Amino acid sequence: MTRVHPLPTAEGPYPPTEEMLNAPVPEAEQERGAKELRAAWKTPEGWRYVTAVNNSEVGKWYSLTALAFMLIAGLLALAMRVQLAFPGMTFLDADRFNQFFTMHGSAMMFLFAVPMFEAISILILPAFLGARDMPFPRLSAYGYWCFLIGGIFVLGSLLFDAGPKAGWFMYPPLATKDEGIGPDIWLLGLSFIEVASIAAAVELIVGALKCRPPGMRVNIMPLYAWYVLVVGGMILFAFPPLIAGDFLFELERSFDWPFFDPTRGGDPILWQHLFWIFGHPEVYIVFLPSIAIAAMIVPTVAQRPIVGYSWIVLSAVGTGFLSFGLWVHHMFTTGLPQMSLGFFSAASEAVVIPTGIQIFAFVATLMVGRVKLTLPMLWIAGALAIFVAGGLTGVMLAIVPFNWQVHDTYFIVAHLHYTLFGGMVFPVIAGVYYFYPFFTKKLMSEKLGLWAFWLIFSGFNITFLPMHLTGLMGMPRRVFTYPESSGWGWLNLISTLGAFIIAAGFAVFLYDLLRPKKAQGQIARNPWGAGTLEFSHDIPEEAWGARSVPHIISRYPLWDQPKLVERMDAGRYYLPDAPDHQRETIVTSVIDAKPVHVQRVTGPAWITILAAIFTGGAFIFPTFHIYTPAIICGAFAIVCVMYWLWTSTARPPKEEMREAGLGLRLPTYASGPQSVGWWGMWITMLGDVTAFASVVFGFFFYWTARADFPPEGAAHPVGLWVAVAALAGVAAWALTVAARETNARGQVALARLSLVLAPLAAGAAGVAAWAAVRDLDPTSHVYPAILWALMVWLVVHLAAGVLMQGYCLAGSVFGKLTPRYDADLRNVTLYWHFMAVKALVTAAVLGLAPGWLT
Amino acid sequence: MSDIRDQEDAHEFRVEALSLWRITFGPLIWALHFVASYGAAALVCAKASAGAVEALRIGIGVGTLLALALILWLAVRAWRQWDLRRDPEWENDKGTSEDRHQFLGHAAFLLSVISFIGVVYVALPALLIGSCA
Amino acid sequence: MRTSALLMGLSLLSACEGRQSVLNPAGRDAQDVLSLIWVMFGGAVLLWFLLGVIFVYVTKVEPREMPRRWGEALIIGGGVIFPVILLGALLTYSLPMMKPQREADEGLKVHITAEQWWWRVAYELPDGRRVTSANELRLPTGRRTGLVLNAHKVIHAFWVPALGGKVDMIPGRETYLSFLPEEPGVYRGQCAEFCGASHALMAFETVVMTPEDYAEWIEAEASDAAKPASAEAYRGAEVFAREGCGGCHTVRGTQAQGQVGPDLTHVGSRKSLGAGILEMTEDDLSRFIAHTEDIKPEVAMPGYDHLTPEDLRALAAYLKGLT
Repeated sequence: MTRVHPLPTAEGPYPPTEEMLNAPVPEAEQERGAKELRAAWKTPEGWRYVTAVNNSEVGKWYSLTALAFMLIAGLLALAMRVQLAFPGMTFLDADRFNQFFTMHGSAMMFLFAVPMFEAISILILPAFLGARDMPFPRLSAYGYWCFLIGGIFVLGSLLFDAGPKAGWFMYPPLATKDEGIGPDIWLLGLSFIEVASIAAAVELIVGALKCRPPGMRVNIMPLYAWYVLVVGGMILFAFPPLIAGDFLFELERSFDWPFFDPTRGGDPILWQHLFWIFGHPEVYIVFLPSIAIAAMIVPTVAQRPIVGYSWIVLSAVGTGFLSFGLWVHHMFTTGLPQMSLGFFSAASEAVVIPTGIQIFAFVATLMVGRVKLTLPMLWIAGALAIFVAGGLTGVMLAIVPFNWQVHDTYFIVAHLHYTLFGGMVFPVIAGVYYFYPFFTKKLMSEKLGLWAFWLIFSGFNITFLPMHLTGLMGMPRRVFTYPESSGWGWLNLISTLGAFIIAAGFAVFLYDLLRPKKAQGQIARNPWGAGTLEFSHDIPEEAWGARSVPHIISRYPLWDQPKLVERMDAGRYYLPDAPDHQRETIVTSVIDAKPVHVQRVTGPAWITILAAIFTGGAFIFPTFHIYTPAIICGAFAIVCVMYWLWTSTARPPKEEMREAGLGLRLPTYASGPQSVGWWGMWITMLGDVTAFASVVFGFFFYWTARADFPPEGAAHPVGLWVAVAALAGVAAWALTVAARETNARGQVALARLSLVLAPLAAGAAGVAAWAAVRDLDPTSHVYPAILWALMVWLVVHLAAGVLMQGYCLAGSVFGKLTPRYDADLRNVTLYWHFMAVKALVTAAVLGLAPGWLT
Repeated sequence: MSDIRDQEDAHEFRVEALSLWRITFGPLIWALHFVASYGAAALVCAKASAGAVEALRIGIGVGTLLALALILWLAVRAWRQWDLRRDPEWENDKGTSEDRHQFLGHAAFLLSVISFIGVVYVALPALLIGSCA
Repeated sequence: MRTSALLMGLSLLSACEGRQSVLNPAGRDAQDVLSLIWVMFGGAVLLWFLLGVIFVYVTKVEPREMPRRWGEALIIGGGVIFPVILLGALLTYSLPMMKPQREADEGLKVHITAEQWWWRVAYELPDGRRVTSANELRLPTGRRTGLVLNAHKVIHAFWVPALGGKVDMIPGRETYLSFLPEEPGVYRGQCAEFCGASHALMAFETVVMTPEDYAEWIEAEASDAAKPASAEAYRGAEVFAREGCGGCHTVRGTQAQGQVGPDLTHVGSRKSLGAGILEMTEDDLSRFIAHTEDIKPEVAMPGYDHLTPEDLRALAAYLKGLT
């Protein structure tokens, strides 16, 4: 591509020499920088506090909300334990028990485990990276508000006795045939939160790749960042199949399209595939970031660098991949061919190896180090003890004949709680004790911590260890009662007692966490003697994160770069000031973290809250089958998001270059692959394409699973219209590319013309796709239904693409987008690359597949 | 003092830009092998006659050998990049281009090992189980 | 709340414990899995303690530094070599173990369809006859019996722990499982896949019999229903007809030919009532008929609590007499 006016690139000395770093910063200079930063990063006060978007505020709300949801889900579990304490108890009736266990699982997974990872990462990832904030703070805030609204909506349904009650896995036909609104609440409420999760994943990946401090190459980034990268990637590929499943599910619930109804060619097993393709990676999505916390704590405890850094990277990446080959082990009893079961059995055993390596790397680090047992380490030790037990039962469960016996029994309940308590709850609590001083400059109580540990640890084992036996003795899961003659009574009573001990432990932990600690005084910044950057930050008294963004040359900079903290505080490093009183962070290259440009990050805003409220409306109204307000809310949500993008992102800068410190001059605007927005779009599109692929998978799944697909004599899409849709879709893509190219060459009028024609072509593609399937009746059989679903999917994405083209056109007209500053157009073109692929694949499935298959 | 515009390692950077992807090539081959084996088994078991199971097993066997050969080739390349014999150092923990280069080789090598084991495991059912039932 | 009060008052099936346990196998398949369980359990306990010992040693006993090489050796040995061999061996040992439970039957096939929340059972005999029953399964020893599984509305799972693993029952799909029972006795089976409000109350008895007893029993089961043997039972039959029970239930040899609910031709001979939740006594029968919905939440059959106590007793006597 030719640019008339290429954007400037970084200039100046790099890397900084020791001499440059030793030069003192004048007192006045230090004060000016601090004053400017303080003004730029000021947290809004009073009732405006809720408009804050800074990662330290949003992260704090996020974690506390997830914690609150966890406690509610825990109370549900206690109620269930009371009901099961004795055979034939009358504490909960069947209906309420079923609502409770459904909500317990759903809330623990969707409202606690995954959001907690996002919350903790938003809170501490920038600190690990010496960054000021996440790359898209308003997106984090938007995600948080979506999460809060969705979570309250879903949990609130219990108060009206309208909660979902078909299990957290929502298997159709039980869930599709449910006459209440429970399944809709589950589906729409959680889809809403899944979207927020994907947003968080995009942000975390971009954060780990592009917002590292100068010099922090991939081989020295904190292990936590590696885990975030892997888990973010997993979310991108795991959540979309579930979203695709939700899409089909809700179409069946709302419009009677028979995707899961076997009487009209549907198949309930498709849902199980889509759910578990999400569901099993999900377990690792929960586990890996928690074990990442252990990977930060263990070296501190050993006072040695981690042994086997590369091994742990291998383990995280390997687990990430292998975890996608396990999903059928949740479906071993569905009667699939033995050979298929065998593949998943084998992959389920293979995943043990990277997981084991991870644990041995920790033990090896402790071995070579001089261990000082601290409270966080005690929790990590407890985590390992519990997790290893869960892992060993996991090895057993991957063996198919054994699985056939204990599947859906209390043995599974025991196993999954061992893996999740050991793999998530304990490491997260360890993290709370470990990072607490970093957030608050206070310590939590050693004594109460020991109490909490031993109560939760022993309570946990008292509750769940006997459940292995309960399961082997034949007790199925999800039963609201059991007969006395079963002989399960005494085991259940023990479990119930244990559950209350766990609850007592959590009460102690919560008290310690929330009690005022004013009397304690301020403690040192780095109480554990850690080696990583987060303990250099002067949170909470300053909201700017790092006073200046350091140059990093070691995995453990606080151990290996002796004057680091002093120099950071003096503003010796990069971005020590904020002359425009704007929030900024430094963007670096992916592999070697060379400074690329200075990114303006967004500040406090109401618009994110408004956008979240309207998005909530768009998801919540359809639950009650009220569609007009839902559409209005959806439209307002889009307007809000557009307004927020228009006013605060990729605006042409006042000054093209910025003195970034240490003689380095960095551009203030980036476009294309240099910019974080482009990466965000790219990563989002990966997830989007995965969801699309899942719907297409549905089409071929029906073909293999059902003899009557397509049914004999079925009407097919109109070939002519399919061809028109494909051509028009490609034309819309070509025009978008043309707009980008002509704009870059300075031919603004031509670019605008292309941007006028492109939406017309896209519109034509949508209309043609609709015309192709118009005459098929989607309620009659699954074949027309899935074709309609593909069409709807395509049209919705075309509509989004049209909005983006319009946004660029408006940008060009109103001077937001110029031949020089064209980030928006480049991002939109990227969207359209994917759109063209989707249009062609949809056309191929609509137009060609029926011919091949029959 | 070096300038940030000095492109002395620009060439190297091009190579490395690929290699963050390259560390995932091993697992990607595992994933392809896995999906192909599972997909083929699902198709043959649903649509083909009983005799086709033998052909399926042979097909999976050939696919497995192919996948293993590819992974071996990746492992050898990664091993060279890791360069353990010239530079017997495991941690590669310095903030230099060389350590970054070797670290990526090391990680890619280890991932090839895991992928190799994974492919062998996944081939076991085709070897040990002869029916669709 | 009334539901539970009733449940409490009822003496839920009392029999010896462990009839639904994986640990008390009565068939070849369950026996094989149990051996596997002991091997894996032993290995798991051993490995857990081994790792525990290493952990305590490096953190408590010998917290000082050890050479870095040892750490690397630990990762390679403990993390790669050892598990690769162990898991490879486990897979090789266990993968072929799937096969027997999918093997074809040796002359007897039983078709079982899961309903919300009971079991439709049909025996397909070698001579081609089909014998319909419900909520109880009877199998002969020493012969592999095939179970062809279906479900009507929602997914269920068929599980008799004493005989072997479970298989899901899925609407629109047919699944298959086979058992080789060895020990005569009465074993409990239960639905294992969550299937709605009364999922907990969907069980059945499996009676394993010697081949001789079995041959005798299946002939009896194939025959029409017994005629009422007492005046009360006779009156009960009248109540049965008057209340339209035959609209849903079949009693072969009578006007009652309904297909919606369980076949009652030989209901009195069954070991349990209400799909494995109550005892087959006249008391439980009349209570179940009067308060069906309270005992079994959301069940399709309405409670007949408008019947007089005398009518209920008569009805119970009639049904108990259908042996």
